[in-house]
Amino acid sequence: MTTRSKLAFSAVAFAFVLATGAIEAGVRSAASPQDSAPTLKPSEVVKPQTYVSLEPVPRGKEFQAAVVMEIARGFHINSHKPTEAYLIPTTLTVQPSTGIQLLDMFYPNGQMVRFSFSPDKALDVYTGKVTLLLRFSAHSDAPLGPGTISAVLRYQACNESTCLPPVKVPVSFALEFAGAGTNARVVHSEVFQGAGPSHQK
Amino acid sequence: MKKIRSAPTFVLISLLFVLGISGCRTAPKGPPPDAPNITFKGLDGDNVSLASLKGKVVVINFWATWCDPCREEIPWMIGFQQKYADKGFTMLGVAMDDEGKSVVEPFVHTTKFDVDGRQMTMNYPIVLGNDDITAKFGGLFGLPTSIVISRDGKIRKKYIGLVGRDELEKEIDSLL
Repeated sequence: MTTRSKLAFSAVAFAFVLATGAIEAGVRSAASPQDSAPTLKPSEVVKPQTYVSLEPVPRGKEFQAAVVMEIARGFHINSHKPTEAYLIPTTLTVQPSTGIQLLDMFYPNGQMVRFSFSPDKALDVYTGKVTLLLRFSAHSDAPLGPGTISAVLRYQACNESTCLPPVKVPVSFALEFAGAGTNARVVHSEVFQGAGPSHQK
Repeated sequence: MKKIRSAPTFVLISLLFVLGISGCRTAPKGPPPDAPNITFKGLDGDNVSLASLKGKVVVINFWATWCDPCREEIPWMIGFQQKYADKGFTMLGVAMDDEGKSVVEPFVHTTKFDVDGRQMTMNYPIVLGNDDITAKFGGLFGLPTSIVISRDGKIRKKYIGLVGRDELEKEIDSLL
């Protein structure tokens, strides 16, 4: 390519870039507020998946349950113990259920992250995928057959510049109660083994 | 060969720069719409109608006590109120806390913010918001959201999320 051709090419490229910038600014200014707002609803930021560790759950037996929370990219939710008292923590509230007793709940540890809106202090948050563990005991008179444990997950999400209102999302654990002494299979070990030592109440 | 490769690289880098991270400030399409006819409930129980503020430049700021980006902006809002109130400007803070007055009132009266080295509480009118109110502005997509209204009662700009202090001040100044 000759020097003149190189210069011509660069000039065309520069003009193209300028035109692109003008188009981008125009699109942005003509856009409705909704076009540039966060595109997720509060209830869509976290996708909770629930798991039970035994199949079936024999009467009188202890078992575990887990809520695996997948948090949308670009968003975070406050941990169960956020940095400041005014921040809304992530909580799981288990509804009373026939045939089971909640023994323990372990929230995952958060990460300390600095955001542009909080440059002087890091916030204790959950991002990506985190697992909340629960420990239950099946009563000796738990009704045999399919059962459900209902719970409500509450969280409040933000991205780098915008916060969404707090939201309560229903979650449920499906299980099957069986007679005492029934052979039970350990299932979803990848969920329960992976969410071990880092957890705390 | 190196010189030939630099032009496409320049184009690529420039494109990335231009298309970078987009902000969330928009001007309404077409002629600016009228601000809706809304009456807010103040913390003291009094009604505050938006119509009564016509003739002033108004920035309606939707916020909540649990919202960290909102807290980042509040000192700027206090500063704007201090600087521009006697030029026909007012902030109007719309608190979106579900708990309402019980949470908002103590926050407003006791929480101090560093405003250019001075510790100040919120010095502008604070009212309580709800879904009916936000629906009249086309819905709320996140906090903070600031809506700039000119003296003639028209919506000039809507900022969704934390925006720069200078940008907001420039917009206010242009309308005064």
